[in-house]
Amino acid sequence: MTGPSPTLSRRLLNWARGKSPWVTIFNSGSCNACDIEILACLMPRFDVERFGILARGSPRHADILIVTGAVTRQQAPRLRRVWEQIPEPKYVIAMGACGAGGGVFQGLYHMEGSVERVVPVDVFVAGCPPRPDEIINAVVTCLGLMAEDAAHGGRAWRMGTAPVPGAEAST
Amino acid sequence: MTEPVTLEMVAGAVEGVGGAERVRANRIRVRTTSDNVREAIQRVNRVLPCDRLISISTVDTADAIELHYHLIGQHRTIVTVTVELPRDKPEIQTVSDLLPPAGLYERQIHDLFGVVFRGHPGLTQLVLNDDWPPDEHPLRKDWKPDPRTFYGGVRQQEVG
Repeated sequence: MTGPSPTLSRRLLNWARGKSPWVTIFNSGSCNACDIEILACLMPRFDVERFGILARGSPRHADILIVTGAVTRQQAPRLRRVWEQIPEPKYVIAMGACGAGGGVFQGLYHMEGSVERVVPVDVFVAGCPPRPDEIINAVVTCLGLMAEDAAHGGRAWRMGTAPVPGAEAST
Repeated sequence: MTEPVTLEMVAGAVEGVGGAERVRANRIRVRTTSDNVREAIQRVNRVLPCDRLISISTVDTADAIELHYHLIGQHRTIVTVTVELPRDKPEIQTVSDLLPPAGLYERQIHDLFGVVFRGHPGLTQLVLNDDWPPDEHPLRKDWKPDPRTFYGGVRQQEVG
């Protein structure tokens, strides 16, 4: 922990946020296979609600945005707008080969390509589509990032725009 | 089950507007010109009868743009009316008044290939995104994205 010690309410907030990450799912032009895997996550077999992960319909309630699929040109401004509505601190998971680089849709006339061209991505999930365990793993990875960011007072230390305090400890 | 459509029946129906050939067991192709396409489709539609439009497929062969109107009826034989259009000025009469579902296909072909359908009631953009430049047609063989043109989506300076 660097800098001034956070207030009790701030520490309580960070603790609560890590215990119950609410996700919102955005289909930016995927083939729906990733969406089906996310639905499998929410169903009793994988049951992410036991970790406190809850799928929300509104981005204003969410901490984590899960983007499925390559971004089409029509969806790109909408994805940007959804991302802007999520309150800070917000995290983005790009799902599958399409989210990482366009996948099979790479280079088509109607494709923006990777999710990273539109919104900053924190976690990429490999696979086409990724298995539900990998999606859960990505959300848990996001929780780790969330805890580290809370300790560093924001996400700027990861983006290389701020001096990194205690870099060797955090990696 | 009605009786199957033979090549002779199709050739007789389109007498004077095009030639018929059998391309596969249950597929018959009628080659016609852009002036006669409405007449050929009307005859295939009424005389044979092929009363359903499956699809209009479009091929850019680099020399011409081909339109294929696939029609089918109770007899389960697909009759394809084929017409070639010049690439530099692809224009054809609409068939959306004869076959109402053709209207949507024609709007899509207008978007992707730039074929102008004369007499179409609303030939507006259907499948391309809102910011797409109106004079570019991405499924033409010679189309390449121009790095200076904005095709919609998010401008990289806005993303920051």
